[in-house]
Amino acid sequence: MKKQLVHIKGTKEGLALRLDDQCSYAELIEELGNKVTDGHLDGKIDVQLHLGKRYCTPEQKQQLITAVEQQQNLRVSKVQSDVMTIEESEHLLEANRSEQYVGIVRSGQILRTPGDIIVLGDVNPNGRIEAGGSIYVMGKLKGIAHAGTGGNVEAIISAAHFEPTHVLIANQVEVMTNERQFILEHTEQLCAYIGANGEICYDRIQEVRNIRPSLSTYRGGS
Amino acid sequence: MSEEAIAQTATLHKKGAANVGEAIVITSGKGGVGKTTTTANLGTALALQGKKVCLVDTDIGLRNLDVILGLENRIIYDLVDVIEGRCKTHQALVKDKRVDDKLFLLPAAQNTDKNAIAPEQMKLLVDELKREFDYVLIDCPAGIEQGYRNAIAGADHAIVVTTPEISAVRDADRIIGLLEQEQMTPPKLIINRIRKHLMDSGDAMDITDVTTHLSIDLLGIIVDSEDVISSSNKGEPIVMNPNNRASVGYRNIARRILGDSVPLMTLDDEQPKGMFAKLKSIFK
Repeated sequence: MKKQLVHIKGTKEGLALRLDDQCSYAELIEELGNKVTDGHLDGKIDVQLHLGKRYCTPEQKQQLITAVEQQQNLRVSKVQSDVMTIEESEHLLEANRSEQYVGIVRSGQILRTPGDIIVLGDVNPNGRIEAGGSIYVMGKLKGIAHAGTGGNVEAIISAAHFEPTHVLIANQVEVMTNERQFILEHTEQLCAYIGANGEICYDRIQEVRNIRPSLSTYRGGS
Repeated sequence: MSEEAIAQTATLHKKGAANVGEAIVITSGKGGVGKTTTTANLGTALALQGKKVCLVDTDIGLRNLDVILGLENRIIYDLVDVIEGRCKTHQALVKDKRVDDKLFLLPAAQNTDKNAIAPEQMKLLVDELKREFDYVLIDCPAGIEQGYRNAIAGADHAIVVTTPEISAVRDADRIIGLLEQEQMTPPKLIINRIRKHLMDSGDAMDITDVTTHLSIDLLGIIVDSEDVISSSNKGEPIVMNPNNRASVGYRNIARRILGDSVPLMTLDDEQPKGMFAKLKSIFK
């Protein structure tokens, strides 16, 4: 008997298609086309593709998706793979790295980093920080802070003394004016984040554990 | 001392440069905060302390250090003449006769622009002057363009002058950021034109506000005094007058540059003098 190249499994989120990662790509796409057309399925169904240890280029992934979606009622919700290129992994590593800057970000200076940044010092007016991840300022934040430059809406900006002129997270911009009463009254230990309403909100640093528990990377026991 | 260092000193001695002086650039970013006045007064104060000082005006096209020192009519050659080889360095130096053989000025050119010289040429010139003088004070033009780059090229240290105004402090912050990227010691701060009544009423930034914002070492403070303006107009640096409070401020800074530890001046008002003034203060 010929080895099955596509395993179909039903899950809560719809169908999961596990694709063989040892056979040739041509064989696989042919088998996938056959598998999805001969079944009788009713209604809209979400499909997840599991590629196993096969590396697929974005074009190949698109081909696989089209092969599945030629069946009108199937929709690919996710493509999963166990492998990635070294380049991709380096990007990921960079975006998740935390950098420390020791010094003062002065007027006209710009600090850019793909990941998180911790500033041991002040950010003076007209000084600017741009981070792909979150920004943590141990001193006074009085300049411009842009977190989640790549569109990461989970990023936060926190500072021991929070008095920035502009706050930007992902695509949200906020110019700090005197209207923000909360900020005027509390400048100590604040953080900014994108709230459920999609706008920038502010709260005490102590609340981060409830707002963004996922930011915690500490995995040790007590 | 390592062998290398000994060899280096030996070569310096051969060139007749046993005492290599220090070059200090005086800068601010913003214009009109008192760079030139500070340069003239610090130079004079250091000369009064017995040091051999050369003041270099790098504000080519808009020179006025010579005017404040009252040496305008003695200029024959200028900075651009020296750099372009039209005269020897010593021919261009103008001696200030009030401070015997201690204070010299290398004036800027008035009829060219700041692009006439390059930072490398400036560095060579300052290195040459350092061999002859204990202190070379470089007066920097306002801004952060070519003129600024020329001025800082040969400097070992930098002094940033600011006034307690938010705009001056903002520009000082920018300049400090640029200076910190250069090969020199961390810049030091002078707060100029301090008005006590404005600080007391909270209308101006106070000294702590300025120093915590800029977070660099404070070299000294200069209180605002109208005598500074009148003495500048007369072409006689205020330092020559030992009784003025601004003059004392400059003298204190000069002593700190020489390595003395001088406590910071208090800002207390002088006692009102005369019968009428005393009466007025009672009824205030």
